[in-house]
Amino acid sequence: MKDQVAVIGVGCTKFGDRFERSYEELITDAAFDAYADAGIDSSEIEAAYLGTYLPGAGGGKAAVSLGDALRLYDRPITRVENYCATGTDAFRNGCLAVAAGVADVVLVLGAEKLKDRGGRGIPRLGHPLLARGNTAPGLFALAANRYMHTFGLGRETLAKVAVKNHHNGALNDKAHLRMEVTAEQVLKAPIIAWPFGLFDCCPTTDGAAAAIICRADPARRYKKDPVFVKGVGLAVTTGRPYFDPTFDYLGFRSTQAAARQAYAMAGVGPRDIDFAEVHDCFTWTEISNTEDLGFCAKGEGGRLVEEGRTALDGDIPVNPSGGLKSFGHPIGASGVRMIYECVTQLRGEAGARQVKQAELGLAHNVGGPGAVSCVVVLGRG
Amino acid sequence: MAGITRIATYVPRRRLDRTVIGQTWGTRVAPGRRAVAGLDEDALTMAVDATLACLDGADPAHFDALYFASTSAPYLEKQVASVVATATDLPRATAVADFGGSVRAGVTALRAAIDAVRAGSVRSALVVAADARLAEPESELEPLLGDGAAAIAVGTDGVIAELVSAASVAEEFTYFWRTDTQRAVQVAEPRFGASYGYARDVAEAVGAALRKAELPPARVARLALGAPDERSAADAAKRAGCDPGRQLVPSLAAEVGMLGSPEPLALLGRALETAAPGDFLVVAGYGEGADALVFRATDALPAARPRALDLARALPVASYGRFLKARGFVPAETAGEVVTSVVEWKELAQDVRLHGSRCEACGLVQYPQTRICIGCRARDRLVDHKLGKRGTVFTFTIDNLAPVAEHPLPMAVIDLEGGGRLYLQVADAADGEVKIGTAVELTFRRLHEAGGNRNYFWKARPA
Repeated sequence: MKDQVAVIGVGCTKFGDRFERSYEELITDAAFDAYADAGIDSSEIEAAYLGTYLPGAGGGKAAVSLGDALRLYDRPITRVENYCATGTDAFRNGCLAVAAGVADVVLVLGAEKLKDRGGRGIPRLGHPLLARGNTAPGLFALAANRYMHTFGLGRETLAKVAVKNHHNGALNDKAHLRMEVTAEQVLKAPIIAWPFGLFDCCPTTDGAAAAIICRADPARRYKKDPVFVKGVGLAVTTGRPYFDPTFDYLGFRSTQAAARQAYAMAGVGPRDIDFAEVHDCFTWTEISNTEDLGFCAKGEGGRLVEEGRTALDGDIPVNPSGGLKSFGHPIGASGVRMIYECVTQLRGEAGARQVKQAELGLAHNVGGPGAVSCVVVLGRG
Repeated sequence: MAGITRIATYVPRRRLDRTVIGQTWGTRVAPGRRAVAGLDEDALTMAVDATLACLDGADPAHFDALYFASTSAPYLEKQVASVVATATDLPRATAVADFGGSVRAGVTALRAAIDAVRAGSVRSALVVAADARLAEPESELEPLLGDGAAAIAVGTDGVIAELVSAASVAEEFTYFWRTDTQRAVQVAEPRFGASYGYARDVAEAVGAALRKAELPPARVARLALGAPDERSAADAAKRAGCDPGRQLVPSLAAEVGMLGSPEPLALLGRALETAAPGDFLVVAGYGEGADALVFRATDALPAARPRALDLARALPVASYGRFLKARGFVPAETAGEVVTSVVEWKELAQDVRLHGSRCEACGLVQYPQTRICIGCRARDRLVDHKLGKRGTVFTFTIDNLAPVAEHPLPMAVIDLEGGGRLYLQVADAADGEVKIGTAVELTFRRLHEAGGNRNYFWKARPA
């Protein structure tokens, strides 16, 4: 599929507490942002993919949430839901449709309105007895504690991820949390789920993002410098990692497998990647992801951030957008928002947060934790 | 020869210093502490804990009866004995019964179990009494009551104390009561009740049992008398012609409070910690009369002596508010769903008996029960496998976000002895106690309440 699909337009709403916007309005803002970027109107959209974890109130768990928001009727729309990999998996499905030749121009849209739902926005799902008491930070914390115990990492190293991503996010006018934080602030914040304090966790966010993709050959009709999809990968492992007696809790096999698929399709290796948007739902997750994606060896991710190599001016900038940590994490929107960031960076339009020599970018989501991961490699020319 | 083969007592780790109650209400209280069942504990869960301690690894398939006694059962309609029997993995062909009505139910159930064994209608039985009686806030009973459970195995093999005689008294007397609309135990004039509703009846039943055994009161080695307060057992002992100072098993009032139906059984357990073969032991329970049983310790006792009751390991209940919360006076989490009866039935072995699977192809023990091995992918080679109840923390978190009534909530991934890995809430942990490598044991707890019913499930606690 390498180079058969191009991204010709991207859009993204301001992420944050979007109390003044409904779920459908966020979708509308993101979609029309992308239409304008691609220079098309909705009549040219042949199929659409909606990535959403919790559709808007009254929308039902179907694709109608996108169809009604955009009055996009009488053509295929598919809803994709795959934990926190929802957004990138929606994008991947859109790419497969284009590559298969069933649709030439496809809209991929990720949207979430968590703040409509009270509390943390995510209702408890799953078995009423097994794993009861789990929370998203708590589940990732299980891995973080085992990892930190094994590799001798301290909370001070985790804090460096928060400091870096808040710095990047402060440069990004669409980010949710646009403020710098100090390591001391991170370390002194109230504990959410040990070892994660408040600033080790991404916020609960509203937002939507969109990408318009098309077959590679007509792409230059829409955009003189389209971005091409080099590789995609998706891998599912157990959704009950805590019951798997063979699991070492030192990283996520699904990310390793999805990365292998995407690199193989793209014909590249991790050293060829110029920058990456990775799933930093919690600070530790970014450290582990950089290892699972092959940017360094297992156990070396802490040093990568300590040495500033993942900073904006490092040799492998990670989360130049601010990441989930600062940009926010509206679940289904996040993956598409990462595509938006990668395309913006590859076009050289990222302004103050622009990374140098952006030829090949990578977007990565992991959900579950570790149950499902999706990796997308994007490049110029 | 029928009698007691095993005995164990469970006391919740949480203790409330009575001065906290005294300071809250500005009242004088007796010194000492009372045991407090946690928000996730009740008579059912403590009964499971006591029964597991009593079994202490013995094969539950050996037992064919389980009697549960309590005045504070968490259900008015729904049998508790069958839940306890299932959670402790007794066979389906088990005779079960719930005893209640008054706190003498523990001794009554013990008598019924020994009678059933003697009659040959059951081979060996488990008797478990448990109470977490609620007192009205600011009442005299509030500092006095304590929560706990005691379990006794009854049979004919390996008897450590054989039944010699039994006697009962039955007569209406209004002393303690709780109507079907009252949550907390009510009490009539306590001094009159202690004298006429307690000491008189207990002395009469003990006297009658001793006469049946042709045993002069002075020959009794230990008297295990359940009591309404710290002082009245001595009065009952005296009225029965005994010397309280020499013969009475000391009250648990100062350390755990008045336990209700498990109290005489727990005191009998204390007596058996030190009794010599040939010693006569008397146990009695009260309430609208009394039941008294006379036992003689056997030669098998020294080799099968019950473990000493460990009251040293305690977690302080930090405030009166925490106490009210533990006793259910503060609304608990009710979000989410209760397990449906269909799922409960389908998953009974997995969720209540706590059976996992063992792969016949690769040997991996795993949980929950599925069709395909997570280790080698062999299909339908997984066989039912009872999981161990002790293990080690592989990893953990201390969660402040989970929608539960008490924070922080330790959650742990636990590697079990004998294989299998579980992910459970950790109960009764002190600050810093849960970490990688912490030894834990499993305990059956009230997990969650919703839709007018309760979910019970396993948790871990530091071993």
